[in-house]
Amino acid sequence: MSIRSASAALRLVRLRGAEAMSGSVGWLERVVDRLPDSPVFQFLARHVLVPFWAWRTPVAVAEGGPVMTIAPGDNVQRMMNLVMKLKDPSPIGRAKAALAIAQNVDEIYAGLNNVGTVHFARFVLVGDHLCMFSVYDGDFTNYIRDFIATIGSVFDAVVALIDGGDAVIPTEQNVEAFIDWVHARDLYQVPDLATDLLNQQRDGSATETDIRRLPRALILQLQANPNVSLGSGYRAYPGFSAAQLRHRLEVGW
Amino acid sequence: MGEATIAQRLVEAVRSDFPDHQPGTRPVHTVGIGVSGTFMASEVAGQFCIAAPFRAAQMPVLVRFSNGSGSPVEHDGWSDVRGMATRFLPGDGAAMDMLAMTLPEFFTPNVDAFLQFTKAAMPQSVERESPWRKLIDMLRLELPLPDPEPGETMNGSAGMMAYANRHGFAGEAVFRAGMIGAPVSYARATYHAVHCFIVTGADGVRRPVRFSWQPVSGVRTTDPTAPAIDRYLHEELRARLAQGSAQFMLMMSVGEGGDALNDPTRPWPAKRTRVAMGMLSLAQVVADQLADCERVGFNPCRLLPGIAVSDDPILRARRDAYEYSQRERGATPCPFAGG
Repeated sequence: MSIRSASAALRLVRLRGAEAMSGSVGWLERVVDRLPDSPVFQFLARHVLVPFWAWRTPVAVAEGGPVMTIAPGDNVQRMMNLVMKLKDPSPIGRAKAALAIAQNVDEIYAGLNNVGTVHFARFVLVGDHLCMFSVYDGDFTNYIRDFIATIGSVFDAVVALIDGGDAVIPTEQNVEAFIDWVHARDLYQVPDLATDLLNQQRDGSATETDIRRLPRALILQLQANPNVSLGSGYRAYPGFSAAQLRHRLEVGW
Repeated sequence: MGEATIAQRLVEAVRSDFPDHQPGTRPVHTVGIGVSGTFMASEVAGQFCIAAPFRAAQMPVLVRFSNGSGSPVEHDGWSDVRGMATRFLPGDGAAMDMLAMTLPEFFTPNVDAFLQFTKAAMPQSVERESPWRKLIDMLRLELPLPDPEPGETMNGSAGMMAYANRHGFAGEAVFRAGMIGAPVSYARATYHAVHCFIVTGADGVRRPVRFSWQPVSGVRTTDPTAPAIDRYLHEELRARLAQGSAQFMLMMSVGEGGDALNDPTRPWPAKRTRVAMGMLSLAQVVADQLADCERVGFNPCRLLPGIAVSDDPILRARRDAYEYSQRERGATPCPFAGG
């Protein structure tokens, strides 16, 4: 997974050099090999290097949601990781969000059953954000459209608690704007292949891909997109839609 | 003298990357160990592939684990790709091979590119990057060249990296190979057969697939900060098998439209339908390693009815290259050669 590889690269040096070869390398090399773990270097990296490189080689904010492909397997069990900032981040505001969900459980479950393409969906409170994580089949736009058609009133109750949510209420009358609003809050999904991150960031005119720049590419992407989904995730039974599973399990859907 | 065949050129190109390679040994994956065991197909395997290994309840297998290098010197603890060659023996003299490695993708998509790649990967003398150079890399938030392993004076890392930077298709494999590390055991790594094969199911449908072996005991690599140990993998495997078997689950991913069916540089997404095809149980280290393992010639194209090679040009080229290499080193003749 790219994030694993690129994170490993962040150590920047193979430490075995310093530890295993301690008898054959000089003090300066040992100091430099250990530098990435030193508080001074970490401070420098956070406050000088990252801002400098973000300015010098700007990286665009990457779009959220799964990448469009034609393969059927890519169009089932897709992830939506919606992260929405609460208007009121206090415990009272978070309680209001919890209450809004709790009061609408029947509507949400009935709506999800009617949409029919959702494998899993749940709401999570993380700090001052309300998150909705779901796994669904098919096109994102249709997924949201189906939702609005079936539980638009619930969305209104939830979106009213979110920073910037008033602009898209009532959702049933602002369908396109609401789709864009949701898409903007769906997390960027870091590609599974490390070099795909470079390809995504590469200027169209560039012909070379310097794999030594992967650590910087990852750092700058996380500067632009602080919250991301780490790869496309594991699936126990990839390639099957919710409808296929229900059919094969004979649960009378 | 006629012009060298592609197989000959491939084998000689690979050999040239290892100056201390010894005649009579494999050009790559030279250091290895043979193990015997059994493979038991899963209940559903036969639905997806009618080849004999996936229909029989249980059959003997021969497995050869190896380090990726073509050097005869054993450096188990060095960061390197590992191999797992499996011969299924379903009976009646039939045999099918599956060759897999710890890298999930190959370096190049075709033979010409591979010949160029091997040239680029010719070993050059290596030294640790100077501390000043490393410091500059850190300030640039870039990956420095890896330190050579203790005692390592030559390697192809710089050439491979330069090649990958010029040819995007090689980037993923080169990057991953640079980070791959060393397994704590041959039985604790995932091995990928890399290429696409075409399997025929019981329903007559032909499907493009890729195979991987997943270790039941989990994946684990050595501590990269600890000194590398040169020889431990063979003894570890002997000790492990003396206490019980080591197992691998054979997983098969089914490709779809849009997937790279003939390009081994591109792994398939993890979202493809995945089928558990069976369980491999390793029982004991082969007693006569020379006769029953080192002299055995595996070939990724040695298949049985029900499974066929795809149009992957690297896979097709490997067929002749392995035959040529086996003849060169006097290995057990390959059935394709009529020997």
